[in-house]
Amino acid sequence: MTMFHSMNTTTSALTAQRLRMDVISSNMANVDTTRATFENGEWQPYKRKSVVLKPQGEHFSSFLHTAMYKPSNAGQGVTVSRIIEDNETPGELLYDPEHPDANAEGYVEMPNVDPLREMVDLMSATRSYEGNVTVFNANKSMMMQALQIGRS
Amino acid sequence: MNLFSGTITSLERGLDYSAVKQKVIANNVANVDTPGYKSKDVSFKSILQNEIQLSSNPADPRHFDLSNTQNDAPAITRRPYSIRENGNGVDMDKEMADLATNQIYYNSLIERIGGKFGSLNSVIKGGGQ
Repeated sequence: MTMFHSMNTTTSALTAQRLRMDVISSNMANVDTTRATFENGEWQPYKRKSVVLKPQGEHFSSFLHTAMYKPSNAGQGVTVSRIIEDNETPGELLYDPEHPDANAEGYVEMPNVDPLREMVDLMSATRSYEGNVTVFNANKSMMMQALQIGRS
Repeated sequence: MNLFSGTITSLERGLDYSAVKQKVIANNVANVDTPGYKSKDVSFKSILQNEIQLSSNPADPRHFDLSNTQNDAPAITRRPYSIRENGNGVDMDKEMADLATNQIYYNSLIERIGGKFGSLNSVIKGGGQ
């Protein structure tokens, strides 16, 4: 709980949302990539990736610290715990016998990326980012006000 | 006779609350997309209520004594409900409204504490200048 605590909190969210946007960009860029990984002698299409967010500082040691010294535990923001690949959703099968990755029947498995879903996720990430920028600016103006104490 | 007459201390406590509130709002907004996260809140009113009940023999029932406040930090509580499918309980509209409220509250306290220092300054200088 230092002076810049809430700014650090907000910054962690900005970083996380920015990473989320990076992952969405990667998904959109690879919407037609059929050769992402080479497994068991054949090329696999790109798999949709997404981030997993988790609150920062919500682990055992921070709870113990709270219990022992009783500082107010306001939380320390958010962090990306990992980036997961979607292996459940099947990719669309496209009939294209000319394609080098086509199977025996002439079908090519495309990545399981849905552009609509990515756009919705992108909008969500943008709005969350904007919300955090608002909080940051509010915090900044409050700190600037605090500096005015004692000035005549 | 205390030079600062307890006003500065009271205002300081208000600022303490407001600063913690700001941290909690920042954390709630940061976790707006975290699955299973539950929104946090700072309770100041309950502490105030305790103070009102504890103050002994007020001349008027509307008077209460804030000078003997304990230095316990504002309590952070967890709102257990969720408003979204993934178990997240952050209401963005509420957080933004709280943010605006908290900002005005903080600025008004700063304004008052500045005014208090101004008065003291005036007294020290003997009212001149």
